[in-house]
Amino acid sequence: MKHWVKTKEFMVLMIVLTIIIIVSIGNGKAFLTTENFFDILKSNLILAIAAMGMLPIILTGGIDVSVGAMMGCASVLSAQWMINVTGNIPLAFAAGALSGILLGSVNGFLVAILKIPPIVATLGTASVYMGLMSYITNGNWISNIPAGFVAFGKQYVFGYIPVQIFFLVAMAILTWWILKYTFLGRGVFAVGGNMVSAERIGFNVKKIQFLLYAYAGFACGIAAVVRTSIFGQVDPKTFTGFELKVIGAVVVGGASINGGYGSVFGTLLGVALMALLENGMILLRIPTFWQKILIGAIILAAVSIDFIRAKRAEAKKIIVDVT
Amino acid sequence: MLSNGGIIVNQEVFLQVKQVSKTFPSVKALDHVQMIVHKGEVHALIGENGAGKSTLIKILAGVYEPDLGAEIEIEGQCIEKLSPITSVRHGISIIFQDFSLFANLTVAENIAMGGAIESGNAIVNWKEMSVIAKHSIERLGVDIPIDVPLGTLSVAKQQLVAIARSLACKAKLIIMDEPTSALSKGEVDLLFTIIRNLQKDGIAVVFVSHKLEELFEVCETFTVLRDGKYIGTYPASEMDNNKLISLMVGRSVTFDRMPSKGIGETLLEVKNLTKAGNYKDISFELHRSEILCITGLVGAGRTEVVQSLFGLNKPDSGEIILEGKSVKITTPEHAVKLGIAFVPESRQTQGLVLRQNMRDNILLPILNELVNKFGLLDHKALEAESDKWIKEINIIPAVPEMLAGQFSGGNQQRIVIGKWLATNPKILIIDEPTNGIDVGAKSEIHKLLRFLADKGMGIIMISSELPEVLAISDRILVMRRGRINGVFEGETVDSESIMNKAFLADKNIK
Repeated sequence: MKHWVKTKEFMVLMIVLTIIIIVSIGNGKAFLTTENFFDILKSNLILAIAAMGMLPIILTGGIDVSVGAMMGCASVLSAQWMINVTGNIPLAFAAGALSGILLGSVNGFLVAILKIPPIVATLGTASVYMGLMSYITNGNWISNIPAGFVAFGKQYVFGYIPVQIFFLVAMAILTWWILKYTFLGRGVFAVGGNMVSAERIGFNVKKIQFLLYAYAGFACGIAAVVRTSIFGQVDPKTFTGFELKVIGAVVVGGASINGGYGSVFGTLLGVALMALLENGMILLRIPTFWQKILIGAIILAAVSIDFIRAKRAEAKKIIVDVT
Repeated sequence: MLSNGGIIVNQEVFLQVKQVSKTFPSVKALDHVQMIVHKGEVHALIGENGAGKSTLIKILAGVYEPDLGAEIEIEGQCIEKLSPITSVRHGISIIFQDFSLFANLTVAENIAMGGAIESGNAIVNWKEMSVIAKHSIERLGVDIPIDVPLGTLSVAKQQLVAIARSLACKAKLIIMDEPTSALSKGEVDLLFTIIRNLQKDGIAVVFVSHKLEELFEVCETFTVLRDGKYIGTYPASEMDNNKLISLMVGRSVTFDRMPSKGIGETLLEVKNLTKAGNYKDISFELHRSEILCITGLVGAGRTEVVQSLFGLNKPDSGEIILEGKSVKITTPEHAVKLGIAFVPESRQTQGLVLRQNMRDNILLPILNELVNKFGLLDHKALEAESDKWIKEINIIPAVPEMLAGQFSGGNQQRIVIGKWLATNPKILIIDEPTNGIDVGAKSEIHKLLRFLADKGMGIIMISSELPEVLAISDRILVMRRGRINGVFEGETVDSESIMNKAFLADKNIK
């Protein structure tokens, strides 16, 4: 067997193709249309962009459960900026990105410097960010987004490619490049593979961790503004629980929850799998609760594979002859 | 000039350490140790478990800081302080048993990453890394693909990658910790060929190993440590297996022998117990009032055998007969029900809840028996039971409310033993009972074990400490590489015969 056939990414790709075939047979008329394709794309762009921020964290063996809260906060803060300061489009994205980086840096500080376990640290900040957001918005929707920005969000390139797709392409390329061509990125893999050795060989583990959580915040900020551009308004509650989808997509896309393994391509496939499953089940008229059950089961299966593999490797370890 | 196998040794000194001591809170791991390594020399650092070899190489790696007064000289230059990074800069490269490599990164990265990070660039130059990696691998004269993840290679190849990484770091001294432990015979030969080639380039190699036969194949000098002290440095030509062993075991500490007052009937019989990769054909008997000691080198399979007796490590085949009945011990709960107790080696992590008091710790295994008619804990019974055991095992201060973590190492060990005594075991299995506690407390533990044996318990003790083995064992099994390599009566044995069986293959066993 070729090396790439054995990768988890290949497995996910096969599952994605299987879903496409099943749904095409079941309801090809509605499923196999350009419209439906771009619909799926548009409604899952945000998930994919946020997943680009989550991937490096999971690669180090960490986790960030404040993603939903960061996205909510960043969308509220960037909306306030647009309404109260300027409707300039690049500056709107900069405002979202900056607020995301700020929120992510707090996570980074707690995890990298104070060494608080990531799940506890980000669980705490998630609650803080949610509270902060309710304080700013009083729980109300923000619908007076400047008209110029709303119009920007409705643009299509070549007739049917939504403009937001370019943000995903840019984020995907940026994340891939960082992971492949910078020592920060290689450090991410090294920390996920063997933290003690990574420190021994000269990586600054603290710096790497800090930057990653800030980067996740950055991705959340961009994703938040992209969402505002799609819907033309901000619902502060819309991202509640979103982190589960993001983590799910990364893990389903073949990244090991213990760190060390995963790729941008795989994560995109993971998003595609979740998106197609959702869309396909709607088109096949399967009740919504089945979607939740199935997606949960797939996430558990994806995580279980790692642990089963680790257990097998442990059992194979030879003990005799270590004298 | 020294010579070995036609290879002439450059006499220029690369590394010289003197007066190296290292004190840990409860133990002096190194006591004024010295060592000289010449350029291009293959040097063996040997000693029993706990002799201080690991501590010394960790000091050279910059992981531990030695006590004040240590002198370290590299190429004639006095080194004030070694950190992991300065150690590499001075040309010392250490290959630990786990190699410290990254299974998920490519071979090229594993080899070239260290140097690339040092250069301070933020952007990865993959081309340059593969050139460096290829060059290092070519120097070894082996064929390893450089763009595959390291984890896809065999252990032997991973080790070669570790050596290639040392070369990429411009190492002048490569220290290898148990380098042949996971290699087949052919792979060991390849490793030795490579080491001889490195030697020609003036690179020194220090071997830390237990495999004496192999060491004689490639090493030209032996430095022997014992109980943290420097014993001496000897050319290979003046040494043989027996001389080395007697240097390793000469003793300063001895304990008074505490013989049995009479051994009872058979309690436990183990027949041909085998587990692939762990141990093979293990057979022995344990009697009432007997202390049976399993000794041998760390990793010989001792712990794996006793874990199987406690339901923690399922054997592939063989039979365990307890009081005449054949049993299959599947879980620790089952083992406890059958009357077996197990005190693991790392008592702080596996045996005690340090933040709970002594009473709670002792009562832990029997809590479900001490309930009143409502199914709630009966506090009067709890107190009575724990007081009884605290008295029995003679813990001072006998304050049940004191936290387990506040007791000394020796008393902590007593608490763990007490905890298991409360389950009324017939068989007590105890792994390295006196590890890390001071000499006086050791002898107290020995007395306690003998006291328990005299009351009719059968005790299986794993120990690497020969003085201890000689002091309290009624019978001794010596394991080597998963097999029983020798059986001795405690009354008549001497330490050399035990070490011979621990280190050297028995000619009668394949």
